Amino acid sequence: MAFTSEHITSSAIEATEFMDLSRRFRVTGVPKTVVNDTIEIMGALPEDMFVRAALQMQPEEHDGEEDRAL
Amino acid sequence: MPLLSPQDEQVLTKHLSAMEKRVEVVLFSQAIGGGESGVVAKQVLDEVARLNDKITIVEKNFILDLDDRAKYGVDKSPAIVILSDGHYTRMRMFGAPTGYEFVGLVEAILIAGTGRVDLEEKTLEMLATVDKPTHIQVFSTPT
Repeated sequence: MAFTSEHITSSAIEATEFMDLSRRFRVTGVPKTVVNDTIEIMGALPEDMFVRAALQMQPEEHDGEEDRAL
Repeated sequence: MPLLSPQDEQVLTKHLSAMEKRVEVVLFSQAIGGGESGVVAKQVLDEVARLNDKITIVEKNFILDLDDRAKYGVDKSPAIVILSDGHYTRMRMFGAPTGYEFVGLVEAILIAGTGRVDLEEKTLEMLATVDKPTHIQVFSTPT
């Protein structure tokens, strides 16, 4: 993601080596992802779900069926 | 004693042969108060760099090279920063790259070396909409 977007920086952190940081972000299991120090994602998610969670985007609608129903 | 087995080297060499770009792996470590992980990181990187001549290891001193630290936002050591043809890729690693982190290291080198990411089209579309500084920290452990 960082390679693709010039606005994104990624840090892969070895949790046991930086315990202060791990404590600060309440890392009790891995992988744990923290975005902009505020958004926390526990565990490994499918790509689409991960990106939406990390970028705070809405889940994808189902082919706009809801719109058509209105 | 080498960390990579001859079998590991063989598999890695094959993967790394896809590289077309020059990759500089910048390692920030410190001799004093740095612990063993900086030494391990250096050994891992040296062993990987031996497998492909497009990979170069650049060593920086975490205590002294403050300008470089600022350039890449390095605030702890050991730290690894990946450059592709001299350009900062914004991909960084903190701690010794062993276990699962080693897989991440190889993937980062491959992305920088090939210029290609293995992401879905939909993901690329979402990433194109990002217009604010976004820092993604992923915590993991070696095992």
